[in-house]
Amino acid sequence: MKNLALLSIVVLVFFGCGNQSKKQQEAVDQPVVVLTVDELYEKAAELADKEVIVKGTVMHVCKQGGARCFLMGSNEDINIRVEAGEKIGAFTQEQMGSDLEIAGILKIVRTEADAHNPGEEHGEDETTETDSVADEAHRIIAESLENAEIVYFIEGLTVKEIKEITE
Amino acid sequence: MKIRKLLRILHRDFGYFIVGMTIVYALSGIYLNHRHDFNPDYKIFITDFQVDLPQKDAITEKDVKAALISVNEDVVYKKHYINNEGFIKVFIENGEAVINPETGKGTMQYLQKRPIIYSMNKLHKASIGTVWKWVSDIMAVILVFVAVSGLFILKGKRGFNRWGWWLMVAGIVVPLVFALIYI
Repeated sequence: MKNLALLSIVVLVFFGCGNQSKKQQEAVDQPVVVLTVDELYEKAAELADKEVIVKGTVMHVCKQGGARCFLMGSNEDINIRVEAGEKIGAFTQEQMGSDLEIAGILKIVRTEADAHNPGEEHGEDETTETDSVADEAHRIIAESLENAEIVYFIEGLTVKEIKEITE
Repeated sequence: MKIRKLLRILHRDFGYFIVGMTIVYALSGIYLNHRHDFNPDYKIFITDFQVDLPQKDAITEKDVKAALISVNEDVVYKKHYINNEGFIKVFIENGEAVINPETGKGTMQYLQKRPIIYSMNKLHKASIGTVWKWVSDIMAVILVFVAVSGLFILKGKRGFNRWGWWLMVAGIVVPLVFALIYI
């Protein structure tokens, strides 16, 4: 029993220390420029798949466990979804209306078309099909991909509450 | 040392160790099962109200604060904006309010964390970061060990070979039947 208790303490201390040093490392690696939601959308194309820091007011937090929130820009039509993911864990309802500074990876998705793109989903082998039906299917998919609405969201890494947004 | 004796010792000690987490998983599990019936994390209070707002184009922070305090003096104002419907949306501490600027009619939604259960739900869902995810995995493995080792502790008529076997099968059949029917 003593050994079990000792082992538990050692495990907790080990995980606790590991977590702290990781947080410090994340703080060092963070990009410096903090963007508003409006600014983020202006530069979104060039920032896709890169780490960004965005600040804004939380206008909605997912009621099913706070897995995601929406940060508002200059009006409620300009907003971006932030997925809490494993790093942040969850947002809380208490954060509604708070100004947050969130670091994360800006992701881009094309609605609907992404889910049906065989090239993206299944790798190069699929593109070697040469029959006319497959070509036609790929042409339609490429067309719908071009026309699909682009949606941006952030995979959250760290979150910090700020007292006031300075424009 | 005989295997059965070793199992008994490990089952006993790990059993003591895991009792706290078992209660967390069980209690929060009940709340999370009912997540479509009620919010498992928060109690939600909704009140309708009527306030007098000054009839002008730009409603200020001061106007909104005064209106809210006339409804409930404990309300803490955070921020407001005019939403797409032209209503004033106000963020308050632990909630929000929506006010029609023309009629002064409004609705306030106030959230209150369920004490203890809120934290238990967070632990259950492993939504407090990566480290806890791994620690809770270890807890889950220990829980499985305690369950399985318990099967082999008793000998005789009430042991796993007779009585225990049938009870274990019964415990598996119940979820299995539901799985076969509904999944």
